[in-house]
Amino acid sequence: MRSRNGNRPFVFTLLTLILSQGLGADEYYIGYRLVAKNSQPINETITVSKAMRPCIKAISPSTLTLIRTPNESLESLLQREQTAFLEFAAHHDVHIKNNETTHPLSSQSINVLTLPSRCFAVEFNDELVTITPTQ
Amino acid sequence: MRIAATLALTLSISALHAGFFSTDEPTPQVKCVYSGTDGHCVEPVLKSENELVITVIGQGVAPSITASPAQAYALAKRSAIVDGYRQIAEKVAGVHVEGQDSIKNLMLTSSSTRTSVEALVRGANITNTTFKEGLCEVEMEIALSYSRFSR
Repeated sequence: MRSRNGNRPFVFTLLTLILSQGLGADEYYIGYRLVAKNSQPINETITVSKAMRPCIKAISPSTLTLIRTPNESLESLLQREQTAFLEFAAHHDVHIKNNETTHPLSSQSINVLTLPSRCFAVEFNDELVTITPTQ
Repeated sequence: MRIAATLALTLSISALHAGFFSTDEPTPQVKCVYSGTDGHCVEPVLKSENELVITVIGQGVAPSITASPAQAYALAKRSAIVDGYRQIAEKVAGVHVEGQDSIKNLMLTSSSTRTSVEALVRGANITNTTFKEGLCEVEMEIALSYSRFSR
């Protein structure tokens, strides 16, 4: 019979295992950058990288669910659903940079929107992908 | 009775003149920086007891060559979102303005103005989206509060 103090690490490990099994999510770092010139998008970059170290500390309550075709990778899915992802992820942190130059006969505006790379918990199902930001 | 009436009339006329021709400073007017949803002027002062909601309308245009109307809509919307964030950053963080004029032999030879904005925006929401004739308009709002700034 173990003491009450001795059981604590065991209970903690068990809880961690149950949570990780129940969550069943992979962790990815996702970043996004959009450049718009004169109100027209000219360049768009999305970067996806699987986390090399566990990064989930707490799960945010907001979740994005996307429909996935069979064997579709996260990167191609996000390429296809960039607008949905932008609207979802932009609610957290968005870095915006604008430069505007005006001459008597011309005007040029360049906007750069960047979503800083951030860890997301991504759960793959057969037809759906659930993306949850971590805190 | 007539004397009292004449005196009252004289006093009222002089008071009227004093009102019209006084050289006192005009009362300070509140400058309307942006309008509220009901169209009335809202003074954007952040107070500790209430939130300040800033509403902007970002505009974006689809590129002239797109594969489909859906792609045109998606691209215009993304551009409109970027424009909306820029406007929020302009209102909250401010704009850096730099102007340069060149004058040669008392004549203006070139003139340019550069503005730049850089900010990190958190918690803005898209409230409405419209797409008409290639122009996408995105209505966005952000609620500012003391607690948000103290993070």
